[in-house]
Amino acid sequence: MKNFAYINAASEKAAIESMSDKALALAGGTNLLNLLKEYVLAPEALVNIKGIAGLNAIESFEGGLKIGANVTLSELLDHAEVRGRYPALHQALYDIGTPQIRNMSTLGGNLCARPHCWYYRYEYFDCKKRGGQGCAAIAGDNEFHAIFATDGPCVMIHPSSAGPALVVYGAKVKIAGPGGSRDAGIEEFFTLPAAAVARENVLKPNELVTHVLLPPPNGKSATYEVRHKESHDWPLAMASVALTMAGETAQEARICLGAVAPVPWRAAAAEAALKGKVVNETTAGEAAQKAAEGAKPLSGNKYKVQLVRTAVKRAILAAATGRRV
Amino acid sequence: MAKTAGKKSVTRTGKASAKAPRRARQSAAKAAPPASQRVDFFKLVPKPRFVGKPVKRKEDVRLITGAGHYVDDLRLADMLHVEILRSPHAHARIVSMEVEEARKASGVVGVFAYKEISSLCGDVPLAHPGIPDLKVPHHPVLADGEVNFVGEPAAAVVAESRYAARDAVDLIRVEYEPLPAVVDPEKALAPDAPKVHKELADNLSFSWEVKGGDLDEAFKKADRIIQQRVRSQRLIPCALETRGVIAQYLTGEEQLTVWTSTQIPHILRTQLSGMLKLPESKVRVVAPEVGGGFGSKLNVYAEEGLLSALARLVAPRPVKWIETRRENMAATTHGRDQIGELSIAACADGTVLGVKHDCIADIGAYHQLFTAIIPTLTGLMLAGSYRFPAARTTLKGVFTNKMPTDAYRGAGRPEATFIIERIMDLVAAEFNLDPVEVRRKNFARKFPFSTPTGLAYDTGDYEKALNQALKLADYQGRRARQAKARDEGRLVGIGLSTYVEICSMGPSKGMAAGGWESATVRVSPTGSVEVLTGTCAHGQGQETVFAQITADVLGIEMDQVKVQRGDTGNVPWGVGTFGSRATAVGGTAVFEAARRVLEKMKKVAAAALGASAAQAARVQIKNGKFWAGKKSLSFAEVAFQAHRGLVIPEGETPGLEATYFFEPGNFTFPFGAHICQVEVDRDTGEVSIQGYWAVDDCGKPMNPLLIDGQVHGGIAQGLGQALYEEAVYDESGQLLTGTLMDYAVPKATHMPWLHCERTETPTDVNPLGVKGVGEAGTIGSTPAIVNAVIDALRPLGIKHLDMPLRPEKVWRAIKKAAAAP
Ligand SMILES: Cc1cc2nc3c(=O)[nH]c(=O)nc-3n(C[C@H](O)[C@H](O)[C@H](O)COP(=O)(O)OP(=O)(O)OC[C@H]3O[C@@H](n4cnc5c(N)ncnc54)[C@H](O)[C@@H]3O)c2cc1C
Repeated sequence: MKNFAYINAASEKAAIESMSDKALALAGGTNLLNLLKEYVLAPEALVNIKGIAGLNAIESFEGGLKIGANVTLSELLDHAEVRGRYPALHQALYDIGTPQIRNMSTLGGNLCARPHCWYYRYEYFDCKKRGGQGCAAIAGDNEFHAIFATDGPCVMIHPSSAGPALVVYGAKVKIAGPGGSRDAGIEEFFTLPAAAVARENVLKPNELVTHVLLPPPNGKSATYEVRHKESHDWPLAMASVALTMAGETAQEARICLGAVAPVPWRAAAAEAALKGKVVNETTAGEAAQKAAEGAKPLSGNKYKVQLVRTAVKRAILAAATGRRV
Repeated sequence: MAKTAGKKSVTRTGKASAKAPRRARQSAAKAAPPASQRVDFFKLVPKPRFVGKPVKRKEDVRLITGAGHYVDDLRLADMLHVEILRSPHAHARIVSMEVEEARKASGVVGVFAYKEISSLCGDVPLAHPGIPDLKVPHHPVLADGEVNFVGEPAAAVVAESRYAARDAVDLIRVEYEPLPAVVDPEKALAPDAPKVHKELADNLSFSWEVKGGDLDEAFKKADRIIQQRVRSQRLIPCALETRGVIAQYLTGEEQLTVWTSTQIPHILRTQLSGMLKLPESKVRVVAPEVGGGFGSKLNVYAEEGLLSALARLVAPRPVKWIETRRENMAATTHGRDQIGELSIAACADGTVLGVKHDCIADIGAYHQLFTAIIPTLTGLMLAGSYRFPAARTTLKGVFTNKMPTDAYRGAGRPEATFIIERIMDLVAAEFNLDPVEVRRKNFARKFPFSTPTGLAYDTGDYEKALNQALKLADYQGRRARQAKARDEGRLVGIGLSTYVEICSMGPSKGMAAGGWESATVRVSPTGSVEVLTGTCAHGQGQETVFAQITADVLGIEMDQVKVQRGDTGNVPWGVGTFGSRATAVGGTAVFEAARRVLEKMKKVAAAALGASAAQAARVQIKNGKFWAGKKSLSFAEVAFQAHRGLVIPEGETPGLEATYFFEPGNFTFPFGAHICQVEVDRDTGEVSIQGYWAVDDCGKPMNPLLIDGQVHGGIAQGLGQALYEEAVYDESGQLLTGTLMDYAVPKATHMPWLHCERTETPTDVNPLGVKGVGEAGTIGSTPAIVNAVIDALRPLGIKHLDMPLRPEKVWRAIKKAAAAP
């Protein structure tokens, strides 16, 4: 890792003033430090944001929750309301990394984490995200890459497991920058590589995620992921589902896929297919088929299409029954 | 077998006692046989206080609390740091190398390439496997004009800090002319394949064959001949501690000291002396704590020679290099990587008559120490625990543009066991027999048992271990429940493996280097006991076992024993820790040395107590004291007398230490039965392990806790090979699985609950009766798990799948089977 200056930011303002494309925010460091060690990123400074007051609390907010960006994944997992009212989020966080990683990782860091594409992380390969000319993944081994939005300049999958759950709950992201603070809808927060290949979200180099706002849940929800227990486990495909139920019938369905596209991937066709239907094996299976429509897998990851179907079906059934399938 | 302590043994006290007056010798002989005769541990110590007990590991307190010292924890004054520029190409010519900018960078002391180093350090050596016409390419410690795998060292920067060194590596400009690379060993054998080494005729490094019995007859008599291709994929050993080296050369003293994370300090010292053209007397190798090796530190590495040479260039300042994880994955030896074409001659009742095995071993770009030897072990162990009369392995060792392969936990035996245990299941499936019955039908039952490949198995009772495992797993009930699950459409499978392996390497005649092991037991004037062992533990717990043995022999507490290892300046000589040899060979040396110390202490006690000849012949140890008649001396008092020098018995000399070199008469052959139940998810192909039962037999158990630890860890690694792990190179020879985020070692959460038991079939190869257990888990588990998955898929008509059984592969097989008519 290259030498860097270390700046301890005591306030949001101080952090924002120090941050730039050469001075990166440091939260738990579980993602950033790896990239530094691998020479993927070589910033001149790290701005420690963990000392900023007010960013590490989970508070009640308009019937839902206001979660500080520095809250760790472990703290979220231990929080009674997250567990009780937001099962899709709880289940999504549950399998991330290891206890040590979850103790360090923050929610803000999870939303802003950089891709774990093995070509991005390996200096010998060409990578547009790292400023190169081509994408080694397109012709290379791409079994863990995107199956949606694969025509863009980068076929990464977004690494955040929390993302899809936050999407189905309709969360907002509070962003602080030099000009003050604004709220972005979670779906607007994540951006496709076609918009700007070097980054994964709307943040400018001197902007900070300060909070995530979760509205009150209205219905049942669940996350199912297929995770092959390979290496330190990243999901291969996951689905978060939130259903507004009337008896056995889904009045509304929100379905979002993870680990299959450069952003959490909303499965609108699947939502439409389920809407107004009695939820059972058959309707869940039909919605799952719809969720996989439009997939354009790469040379080596057609298998993930099947996994999307499996994850969606099982997530729907898990949400409806409250049981893991 | 009792004549193991043969000509090659050297014993100091043994020699001395040979000069004792006749009478004294005779009376001593009555009390206890002379030390040169075989005495079994359990005869000498019928009621051990420590051996056989679940004693906690002595080393754990310091290791668990982070108080141990690994190479990276050593900080010497004035130390310089080395970073290595490595090849980004699988195969390329170095057209030019521009180092000026790096040399001028701040903090840089020097930049070195082949031409600066070659006069100081020769090629990386190999242990000669005795294979005729072995092709051995030039293997310099820094690339000589050409690089042959990704990660090969090309230049080294020495700097005041690690950071300065690493930054300067980026300033070296190398112009490479990429050459065609070959990564597939079968393609590498094609006549028009690109050559890995231009100076060699082709990519075939060696051919080797082992055969025995009448194959023609076997294949003529067979009801059916089953063909199967099997692969043991390339694995990365992934020791938790990466490699690391510190070297310092003291010009005045002409003394090179090398601290390195190795399993074989003494062998390394000899080899370094050859590479550096320094006599061994001027080379000291120290292995501090070693954080795992699994065979990957059973080697002599380019970096060990390189750092030694650099130390001479910057003498007397020490130089330090610590391997990064990425380097470890790319440039520390890999394991396995064999493709086998099998022909099996089998009868309808499940009897196997003969096996032909044509093996291609992808050895990577060079020979490391045992690269060629490891796959020959696969051929030797092909018979497994079965008595089929005819077998043949032909082996081709093939160069590719990849990291060399070498020993990895099991080293040749997991491959053999995978083959033979798959064979048993293939035969069972072919004739619709229970795999248990097929195994029973074929078991070797008379010992010593001679295999068609020329080995003599010492002792065994394979059926006993199998029966115990079947009971432990409730095999019958499980099969019944499996049938029900199948009726419900679930894919549940039960697999087993009844392995035998070859351990306690080994008799010197069967080894490339010596196969003995040495130990010194030394008692100080105040009675503290040091055991110096030539083995070099890296996680096994030898400190504990050797202290158990010594304390029991000498009648003292384990705390009084300090086990020293890993320092050639301290331990007289040694071979090292590998091949599940440390307790069987090194532990025996400790036992023999301790026994000799005990004999002398008895004599000293008798002399000091003024005992009569009759009393002297019956000195006993009770409550930590030496008793002659009614008088006694404490252990420390006897030790003091031995050093004080006033009452030295006739024919003895002052001092209290014994050194023993134990040469085993044979290998040992531990065995066991592993059973596994899995369920496969039809929609995703995921395998979940529902139960695991293991009965292992490693001879006399020295410490059940340590055995469990070895078995558990071994099963984890075997499970890794069966389900997750694979070193993947892309077509151009780039290593894709170059970090632990990409290379899939199993985690704690992937481990099933293990139900482990033991049977005890002592060996007669050594006086401890112990066989070895370091690799058993790895060897036994992989086929049990794979057999279980294939069994789960049997209703779909699937007969074999290659490892790792990753979900996608399994799902595709399911899909293909469903589509088939
Ligand atoms: C072995 C392993 C397995 C993992 N598995 C999973 C998984 O299955 N699912 C999953 O979702 N994640 C997984 N992760 C990723 C892990 O969740 C992230 O590394 C973690 O959430 C990042 O949080 P952090 O606080 O450590 O971020 P850091 O490493 O500190 O930062 C990550 C990035 O976000 C930026 N950043 C951090 N906080 C803010 C902020 N408030 N505002 C703006 N920018 C910010 C940093 O500048 C940096 O670029 C895994 C990680 C590892 C190491």
